[in-house]
Amino acid sequence: MSELIHGPLFAITLTLLAYQGAMFLYTRSARAAMLHPTISGATLIALALMLLQQDYYTYYQNINWLTFLLGPATVALAVPLYRQLHLLRNMAGPLLITVTVGAIFASASALIIAWLFGANHDTLLSLTTKSITTPIAITVTQDLGGITTIAVASVILTGVVGITTISWLFNKLDIQDDRLWGFCLGLAAHAIGTSRAFERSAVAGAFSSLALCLTGAFTAIFVPFAARWFL
Amino acid sequence: MLAGFLTLIGCQLLGEFIQRALDLPLPGPVIGMLLLFLGLCIHGNVPKDLETGSQRLIELLPLLLMAPAAGVFFLGAGFADQWPAFIAAVTLGTLSTLVFCGLLIRFLHNRNKRT
Repeated sequence: MSELIHGPLFAITLTLLAYQGAMFLYTRSARAAMLHPTISGATLIALALMLLQQDYYTYYQNINWLTFLLGPATVALAVPLYRQLHLLRNMAGPLLITVTVGAIFASASALIIAWLFGANHDTLLSLTTKSITTPIAITVTQDLGGITTIAVASVILTGVVGITTISWLFNKLDIQDDRLWGFCLGLAAHAIGTSRAFERSAVAGAFSSLALCLTGAFTAIFVPFAARWFL
Repeated sequence: MLAGFLTLIGCQLLGEFIQRALDLPLPGPVIGMLLLFLGLCIHGNVPKDLETGSQRLIELLPLLLMAPAAGVFFLGAGFADQWPAFIAAVTLGTLSTLVFCGLLIRFLHNRNKRT
């Protein structure tokens, strides 16, 4: 009995079940950001593991081949990047400058604030990827030697902060052009921001996913080199 | 769909190979993504198998991310003193990034329109 609960079959069943539950909650709540499937699904898994008095590390080992798929999923992001590339026409200059400077700003601002608040080395390493889409963030953090879990948590919290504040902030700044609005949200708040941008308009969504892909690719190239020099 | 999956896995393998051969700090899957992107630019369109294969995988992302995210609940006492710095960095960092990028892109866009 007990070896069944500690095996991969049980771990994968639990994960798929939590996914179904999370998707149900998410669609029922009219896609509330706080109930994003990754957040509610993770909570359901954690609750189940605690109730069954399971070790998280054993569980994580058991679903190894599911997390393995993050590799090909990262490669797959080349397809939406290629699809959105035509949006660069006419606006290439402003968009490319904003993505380069903005992506560095996103990493650097988080690092400086964390450092001021006395974060340790591991936490700093895990915060560098907070503004990029989770699969890339995980691969980069693992390579750097940061804590994957903290990286995922920072990416998700970044997304939630981004979508809950953008309307208010950009009203204050008086930025209402859907292209600029979507691009900034995708840059700062990756996939969670992109799904919010699609709710505003298709144009905002397309620019948001372009920004998401460019920021992800650029940060993935820039952070490992920068980390080699500074950390 | 499986042919598309083969392309993705193949690009990743090639990426991992290049990373080791050249001792690059970039992760293998990221090199694979750049290779596939270059391939698509040369090829000129997205083959149907690759389109469905990558679509399926991208749709599955929330499922793949749930387990690493669940680890937040099991960080233990060692991380307790890191939470204030973590939350401050993420919230304040994200707000300042949005403001900074908003102002920057508006400035660049207006300048672009005038010339």
